[in-house]
Amino acid sequence: MDESGHGGPLLRLKGVHKRFGDLEVLRGIDLDVKGGEVICVIGASGSGKSTLLRCINLLEPPDEGDIYLEGRSICKGADARSGEAGWELDYVRQRVGIVFQQFNLFPHRTALQNVTMAPQRVLGRGREEARSRAVELLERVGLGDKFDQYPERLSGGQQQRVAIARALAMDPHVMLFDEVTSALDPELVKEVLDVIRELADEGMTMVIVTHEMNFARDLADQIVFLEEGVILEQGPPAAVLDNPREERTKRFLGLVLEH
Amino acid sequence: MDVILEQYFDLSLMAEHFDDVLAGFWITIKLSVVAGVLALFWGLVLALLRQLPGKPLMPVRFLTIAYIDVFRGIPLLMIILLVSGSLPFLPIPESIAIPRWFGQPDTFWYGVIALTITYGAYMAEVYRSGIEGVPGGQMEAARSLGMNHRQAMRNVIVPQAVRRVIPPLLNDYIALMKDTTLVSVIALNEAALVGRDVQSSLFNSSALTLGAIMFLVVTLPLARFVDRQIAREHRRFSRGAPRVETG
Repeated sequence: MDESGHGGPLLRLKGVHKRFGDLEVLRGIDLDVKGGEVICVIGASGSGKSTLLRCINLLEPPDEGDIYLEGRSICKGADARSGEAGWELDYVRQRVGIVFQQFNLFPHRTALQNVTMAPQRVLGRGREEARSRAVELLERVGLGDKFDQYPERLSGGQQQRVAIARALAMDPHVMLFDEVTSALDPELVKEVLDVIRELADEGMTMVIVTHEMNFARDLADQIVFLEEGVILEQGPPAAVLDNPREERTKRFLGLVLEH
Repeated sequence: MDVILEQYFDLSLMAEHFDDVLAGFWITIKLSVVAGVLALFWGLVLALLRQLPGKPLMPVRFLTIAYIDVFRGIPLLMIILLVSGSLPFLPIPESIAIPRWFGQPDTFWYGVIALTITYGAYMAEVYRSGIEGVPGGQMEAARSLGMNHRQAMRNVIVPQAVRRVIPPLLNDYIALMKDTTLVSVIALNEAALVGRDVQSSLFNSSALTLGAIMFLVVTLPLARFVDRQIAREHRRFSRGAPRVETG
């Protein structure tokens, strides 16, 4: 695979397996994500959706299979594979951003400091440069007046938007969203989805795990239905959501779209 | 009743020996501060060594855990005697063999060494509970942003961990301060020894009572401060999830 990866998919998963003790959570995932694409992953709890995202950014390194980011394999080799040590952590984490369901903002730092910390410490950006970029990003997510607030003073929706700004500050090539609105009060969900929508419009490549079906239908280029660790069905929203082929897909959607 | 007052609260005796007891207590303070600060740092170092990740560093983790277990398991009094008794005979360069640094006698420094290596072990466990109490999502977020283990610990985990364990660390500090009295067994003239000398020569405990009161002057406010910190933390956590504002 060539280093530049142009012409191939931005992100490719091949035969990814992940086990936790005796439980095999991912049982052979093959997935291609093209540059600029938005993939929405849906499925029941325990189907492996979160684990899939966490494999991509190596929080849970795969036990088997490989992942290619921009054409380059991020596995150091089948024999090097003990835990994190077998994978190109720096390469991945500086190109893949993730936003968590529980926000995970640093409570002992202000919103601004949350956004500037990684660019300064990891990318070595200067204080002024990191600060002005952080200001720009926080304004972009609608929090221009909240720089100096600590997370405990922000609502859930605001915290999540800071979390998005924080991930964007590292200039990722791919953004992962792990059920980012599931922990929010309903009235706060829209503000976060709007930010994600804008990002998609600007061409960011994204893999989004979500329960928000209408949002997924609007935004996704591809819907991926995950069930018991395998991709059961995949295709454009019109196909998967409105005309699912598989029985289990129909059942899942029947359950979810009900309310 | 009168006997109690006479034995323990003989005010004229206290006045007479006030300067001596205060001088002894001043040594207590110096010993507590020096050993306390060193133990606070040493404890943090131990706690960090204990959780270094990765297979190649297992010997480091193992040795650290062994150290902590050993020095929490041996009485401080024995450590003091072990350090002071035989250290002078060990083949160490003449210049540091008998420490007389900063004008303090060697007994002072033996006390510092013993207190530091022991209380460092206790404090290491306190720091460990603080580190383990930081939610796992914090480390995940830090690592996902590209920070390596050291950066994540230094910028995200340790600041939060330390904040959480200030009350138990202060409690350990108060305990350390009281344990400085054990150094009296190697003839360091701290508050307890001064009081005891008066007690044995005059058959009256009032000088010791005076020393005890001096201790309380320091430990009581510290204890109340710790209580206030704990109450403050409880109020913060009982607020629960982030407060929802409009917008």
